[in-house]
Amino acid sequence: METLRTSKVQEAHPEDPSKIGCVHPMEDVLRMDRIPHIWCPGCGIGLAVTAFSAALERANIDLDKMSIVSGIGCTGRVAGYVKLDSFHTTHGRAIAFATGIKVANPKIKVVVFSGDGDLIAIGGNHFIHAARRNIDMLVICVNNFIYAMTGGQVAPTTPLAAYATTCPFGCVEPPFNIPYIADSSGAVYVARWTTLHIRRLSNSIIEALNKKGFSVIEVISPCAQYYSRINKLGDGLDMMKFYHDNSEIRHGEDTKNLDIGFQKKIIVGKFVDRERPTYTERYNEWLSELKGAKDESG
Amino acid sequence: MNSIITAFAKGIEKSGVKPSMICVPSDIPFEPEVVDFLGVDFFHTTRGRAIPFGTGLKLGNPALKVVPFIGGMMTLGGNHFVHGSRRNMELLVICINNFVYKKIGGQSVPKAAPAFSPYSTFDEPFNIPHLGNSCGALYTARWTALHIDELANSIAEALNKRGMSMIEILAPGPNYYTDIEHIESNVLNFYYENSVIKNNEDPRNVEITPEKKIVVGKFTDKERPTFLETYNTQLGSVLGDKFIPYGFVPPQNKSGGRNGGD
Amino acid sequence: MKTDPRAVKTGVYYIDGDVAAGLGALAAGCKFIGGYPITPSTEAAEAFARVAPSAGAMFIQMEDEIGSIASIIGAVWAGVKSMTITSGPGYSLMMENIGFGAMLETPFVLLNIQRAGPSTGVPTKTGQADMMQSRWGSHGDYELIAIAPDSPQEMFDYTIKAFNLAERYRCPVMIMSDECVGHMTEKVVIPRAEEIEIEPRRFYTGLPNEYLPFKPDADLIPKMAKAGDGYNLYITGLIHDERGYPVKNEEFKSAYVRRLVDKIRLNKDKIIEIKEDGTSDAEVIVVSYGISSRVAVRGIERAREKGIKVGNLRLVTVWPFPDEKICALAKTIKAFVVPEINYGQIVYEVDRCSHGKANVVLVPHGGSGVHNPDDIFDAIVYAAKQERKIEGVIEYKTKLEKMIFGGGNKLKE
Repeated sequence: METLRTSKVQEAHPEDPSKIGCVHPMEDVLRMDRIPHIWCPGCGIGLAVTAFSAALERANIDLDKMSIVSGIGCTGRVAGYVKLDSFHTTHGRAIAFATGIKVANPKIKVVVFSGDGDLIAIGGNHFIHAARRNIDMLVICVNNFIYAMTGGQVAPTTPLAAYATTCPFGCVEPPFNIPYIADSSGAVYVARWTTLHIRRLSNSIIEALNKKGFSVIEVISPCAQYYSRINKLGDGLDMMKFYHDNSEIRHGEDTKNLDIGFQKKIIVGKFVDRERPTYTERYNEWLSELKGAKDESG
Repeated sequence: MNSIITAFAKGIEKSGVKPSMICVPSDIPFEPEVVDFLGVDFFHTTRGRAIPFGTGLKLGNPALKVVPFIGGMMTLGGNHFVHGSRRNMELLVICINNFVYKKIGGQSVPKAAPAFSPYSTFDEPFNIPHLGNSCGALYTARWTALHIDELANSIAEALNKRGMSMIEILAPGPNYYTDIEHIESNVLNFYYENSVIKNNEDPRNVEITPEKKIVVGKFTDKERPTFLETYNTQLGSVLGDKFIPYGFVPPQNKSGGRNGGD
Repeated sequence: MKTDPRAVKTGVYYIDGDVAAGLGALAAGCKFIGGYPITPSTEAAEAFARVAPSAGAMFIQMEDEIGSIASIIGAVWAGVKSMTITSGPGYSLMMENIGFGAMLETPFVLLNIQRAGPSTGVPTKTGQADMMQSRWGSHGDYELIAIAPDSPQEMFDYTIKAFNLAERYRCPVMIMSDECVGHMTEKVVIPRAEEIEIEPRRFYTGLPNEYLPFKPDADLIPKMAKAGDGYNLYITGLIHDERGYPVKNEEFKSAYVRRLVDKIRLNKDKIIEIKEDGTSDAEVIVVSYGISSRVAVRGIERAREKGIKVGNLRLVTVWPFPDEKICALAKTIKAFVVPEINYGQIVYEVDRCSHGKANVVLVPHGGSGVHNPDDIFDAIVYAAKQERKIEGVIEYKTKLEKMIFGGGNKLKE
């Protein structure tokens, strides 16, 4: 029987005071040789990674059987800092890679951790098809409303009339509502949190990890260097204060009501949690039916 | 396919739009005679890229009416469809779906799916009107190759609509689909017996599954500013006089085209 | 013909190459850019996005590179000049549609700010390793034009020239710049609108029922039409006849591809642009392009101070390649020295064209930086010393290579 990779923190027995504090709680899920990371002061991606690490600690999943796949962008660097089987893939193709991993070896738990531009713009096709097929994976989409790594260009999630370098006079395209598109493509678990809601985000991740099917968790995150600066919204802390004052938890809300306007209310919560057969389940069922039919016809 | 062309021609006539101003970028090839008959400008594009090609045509000359035809059921072109809908680009997307669902009424399992089917027999297809609607398309409808008149009306309506419209058409596919055991004869007969018209139905409920009949009809018809309208309004408000509204019409090239050289 | 004065931002600027290219596109009459952000090319798109609204042009950020290139081809067929901007990974994505554009004889410009590759590589550093891909990247037979500017001023000037060439020869034109030139800030002078000549599109002006969209004129290039004029266009990427209809006839197929290829090959003399200096009595000639040609100047100066007769041949147009020129020069010199920021691409063209008459020395560089001019000087000295003909391309071991690899990579038993 395979044992789960044990955590160093678990080894440091809580009753022994001399052991507390000598091991960082996230040390066994982060690649400590690559810390410090590259993210800017005021960036929310670090918070998303913290929530993810905390979830991994508590989720009771064999971390040796988990893969994390990222694309290109600021959030795309996450795979490089997390101590799982990490794949830093080409732009937009994280979900396609993850599909390959999952279908080739269904025992591996796959997490795609990437940004809004990578997953929804260039990767949009893979996103909707993986949702349709209900491939068993968890997609964590960190949405900072901009293309940060390349210098602050407009993204498909940039709110109407917000500024970015490639729309220097205001964005003229309505943004995507990520939970709505995930829901209408067939995802079985859809939730949205901000980087302020760390514990709820962590709990959501644990729930989604234990769910079979295509799950999407959108994480609204500040980008202090580009989105906030270009739109004069202050720094990372000011954005977090904004999330505090303007986000509202509404579990089960209809996903079509979840649009995000420029500096408007953000609705968070768990919106969709349903059951659908996954791709591999349907494949196996079809295969066995086919074999059955073949046996019948002799 | 022929009935679709007939419906398209009827639709163009009813809509009052000049055929010479209609461009059809398509990844499905049309026969040259068909293009001559319709009187449109036809572009056989690379697979899946009819919609961005159409975006370029529309933005290059906003006076054109662009009608991308896509086949392949959203495999290659899915991304372009969702983004085009989000932008509300003025396009009428005609999505030809020749997928005939495999199991009807729990009958015997059909033969294995044909090679290169984007949807093998255990895959579920997209609910394309729902996808389009959730991404922002204004006008969504589905008809089959049987419903020629309704389809023509839909096309006429959608051609005059300012914004992203989408009409899904279920049509008999290439030969291998008709090999499926229980759909041996007339595919049109199959549509006749298994489709039901439900106009204004919520697109969420129109998925194609074996458990229920195929729902056709005009589902949504909304209004929203188009991409060019939003662009001009937004930039006009920020730039004021310095802005030249975009509605660029290339200089008429002293051509003897049917439009004359205006 | 003269360009639209609103599109020319006359003045003296201190800007980088990317921005200069964006301004050059506007000045050339480009009305539509569909792009996608990719380092190091994004500044060109951003610059165009800023100035386009005041000149009646538009920038749209598409959802991906494939959407970008498809949209610009559509825009060209709607009647406007258009361009897209990308770098290595995006360039690879665009290949299918570049072939599509070449097949349809669609005039567009593609600005590729090359970066260190392969794959994601080093997005913020320079490279010149897409040169062969620019010529052969898409499947099938076709010819196109590729230009390699070496300064922000040239980025402005040659973007205008690229548009003119594209309209003249109805083919895609690649501007193969690199991150160093793209991110280099220098003085750029944008002249007045009256001083800029642009090539208008040659539109067909006859009657619709006589219109054969792909019937060439005497120079092998057909006149163009655009959608919406009543010509009932039938445009397909399948091999097509003069009316545009797909054909299955064998002879016709090869005749069509022959013309696609010939219209550039037979007009080579008018297209190729090279800048040479001191090549007539040289014993060694340095053949280079893009940023490497600027670095090479220093190496050449040092060699000339030492008394070696060195010629400088800069390829401004890299494709079509100046075969005859290289062949003629090879007969009179000892060696060619080819510095490029890759492990050998254009050097093989030089070797092919010299037909064994001269040595060919490659000065490679793995990317993420430019050559050290001393390496080029050392290679020139080495080339000048060789008395006998050595087969094939000689790879000169630069100091950088020696430092990283010692004696070079060796296979271990």
